[in-house]
Amino acid sequence: MKRLLSLGAVLVLALASIVLAQTSGQATLRSPAGDRPFTYVQQSGQTYVSTNEVVAALGGTITPDSNGYKITISNAVAAFGPDSRFGVVRDDLIEMPVPPITIEGAPYVPWQFFQGLLAKTSDLDVTWDAANHVLLIRPRTHDVVGVQASVANVQGISKIVLTLSAPAEYTILKEQGAYTVRFKSPIQAPFAEQAVEDPSIAKLTFAGSDLRIQLTAPDIVADAYKLDNPPRIVLDFRKAAAPVPGQLPALPGARPQELPGIRTIVIDPGHGGKEVGAVGPDGLMEKDITLALCRKLAAALAGKTGARVVLTRDDDVLVSLDQRTALANQYKADLFLSVHMNSAVGKVAKGSETYFLSLEASDELARKAAETENAVSAPVADPTSDLKLILWDLAQQTYLDESSRFAQAIQEEMNAASGVANRGVKQAPFKVLVGATMPAALVEVGFISNPEEEAKLQSDDFQNLMVDALTRAVQRYKTDYETRIGMVRPAPAAPATATAAPPATGTVQ
Amino acid sequence: MVAILAIVACKKQSTATANVNAANKVAVRPVRLFYESPQMVLVSETRNIALPESPAAAIPVVIRELMKGPASAGAMRLFPADTVVRSAYLLPGGTVIVDLGGSTLTQGWGTGSHHELMAAYSLVETVTANFADARRVRFVVNGAPAETLAGHVSLAKSLSPIPQLVDPRFR
Repeated sequence: MKRLLSLGAVLVLALASIVLAQTSGQATLRSPAGDRPFTYVQQSGQTYVSTNEVVAALGGTITPDSNGYKITISNAVAAFGPDSRFGVVRDDLIEMPVPPITIEGAPYVPWQFFQGLLAKTSDLDVTWDAANHVLLIRPRTHDVVGVQASVANVQGISKIVLTLSAPAEYTILKEQGAYTVRFKSPIQAPFAEQAVEDPSIAKLTFAGSDLRIQLTAPDIVADAYKLDNPPRIVLDFRKAAAPVPGQLPALPGARPQELPGIRTIVIDPGHGGKEVGAVGPDGLMEKDITLALCRKLAAALAGKTGARVVLTRDDDVLVSLDQRTALANQYKADLFLSVHMNSAVGKVAKGSETYFLSLEASDELARKAAETENAVSAPVADPTSDLKLILWDLAQQTYLDESSRFAQAIQEEMNAASGVANRGVKQAPFKVLVGATMPAALVEVGFISNPEEEAKLQSDDFQNLMVDALTRAVQRYKTDYETRIGMVRPAPAAPATATAAPPATGTVQ
Repeated sequence: MVAILAIVACKKQSTATANVNAANKVAVRPVRLFYESPQMVLVSETRNIALPESPAAAIPVVIRELMKGPASAGAMRLFPADTVVRSAYLLPGGTVIVDLGGSTLTQGWGTGSHHELMAAYSLVETVTANFADARRVRFVVNGAPAETLAGHVSLAKSLSPIPQLVDPRFR
């Protein structure tokens, strides 16, 4: 028995030793600038690197404070704490497999910290070569992406559809009479050069990772968007229209301004599929009531405004929040309205609320999202230029100002229709509004958590009342906006509704 | 075995609490916890709880106290009762990483914008009102970045206090 116990104790000690076993030594940081030694430690299957030494090797500085450490590399400031496996840089998370450790007063982070840091702040990749103890820092490599190009003319709009074998990063550069799609990855091109018989497009030329699109005239402008499954880049070309007197300045990175006014409206029925949203005390699901109401609203708006009205979903399906806004951007919508039913802990809460995006949430994410979706319309080719960033800030502020007016019109009409005390217009960082490159609002029609409102929301009469109020709000905002830009209001076009199918890409030439 | 034991750490190493003494030193202190009032704005109640001296150690204690729900009449709990505070860390620069879990948040919290907004900001207000160094909260769920808590409020960036959500008497 004693021998057994002794053996057990030895085994426990051995296991503990394996878990706690720590090896350390000198490793090499290998970067385009050369080799630098640093100290590493291996423990419990993780490799930690001396943060002080690696930061110094990268030309940065590290400063301790009472809550952890701040690192400054180039213009980026990152932070990490002693116990958290999350660090931050520019408000982005840096995820580590385990928290950092401290050895003799110095911080050691898992090597993946630097992988995350440089991925978010540079075009550098970091890998750990465990066999040779090398932390390898090199320019990010990209796999070869196959590109197929097709050209079509759909209702007077020339389209180029680039179908990719895998998602790829790219920028679009504009010059006089030509556009260039520049991929970050090496590409496998379908041809070197091809002449095109099209009113707007003269020739396509692939060279390196560039596709150069030669146009037939210098006043042709392009607009671009991405589609998924399969990954595609679509470029629409049309002649630029002469500016309308009194028109608001064109928004950088936004939809083309040659067709002013509210012509396309995207209506977003909240939730759907497995995301049921809020559920009322009697079991009414938010996703069902938003869809029913939005179908009626789409029909009413098409009939009364003459605008093209698009639903982000016309069935009980799950659509991601990003997809909803991206769809509005792809359709070059002039207005975006997300429709929801509210819920509160207090069962007596009632009335409508209208939200638009808070400025804090609108800045960087919106810029990132819209830059990729509207790259062609950007006023300058260099995506990092300060001018572009300033213009973006102005553009986002303009969208917010317009969103505020739109939200105000909605709230006033909803209050008048329901007779409920004004719950007011509010700002919040709602995900579905982030990245919309048009005035956008989210309306909470009523409180599904209130038994009385839940019953009303199911009735046709109340739904019609709300649809009428929302229709009047859109009409009011449309008239107000078009008056302010000095636009002569066109005669209503034939009404049309559409569902969330992507814009037509036409036939392949 | 000898070989294994030989590579056991020879350097002095710790799991790196920033200030062990401060973390272990506990004192009863008043904290402000934010809940929703019948007027549908955030109000605070003050509670005396035993707190570690170091903010890094005290923040998760305060958030767990928030999750216990209000004691004052009329105030309403905002987070689901089964919400678990997995961890909370204060980073240099004022970002607090709060990792939440629990079956409701894990399986999909079906609630409306108002409820979700007030829940998220009740935590933001509680953390920033009690700790001068805390300026914003970055939520993660079950140890991973999350899009939203319940389908509305974006968690892609840190959340800073929105004074308009708080009763002026409690700002």
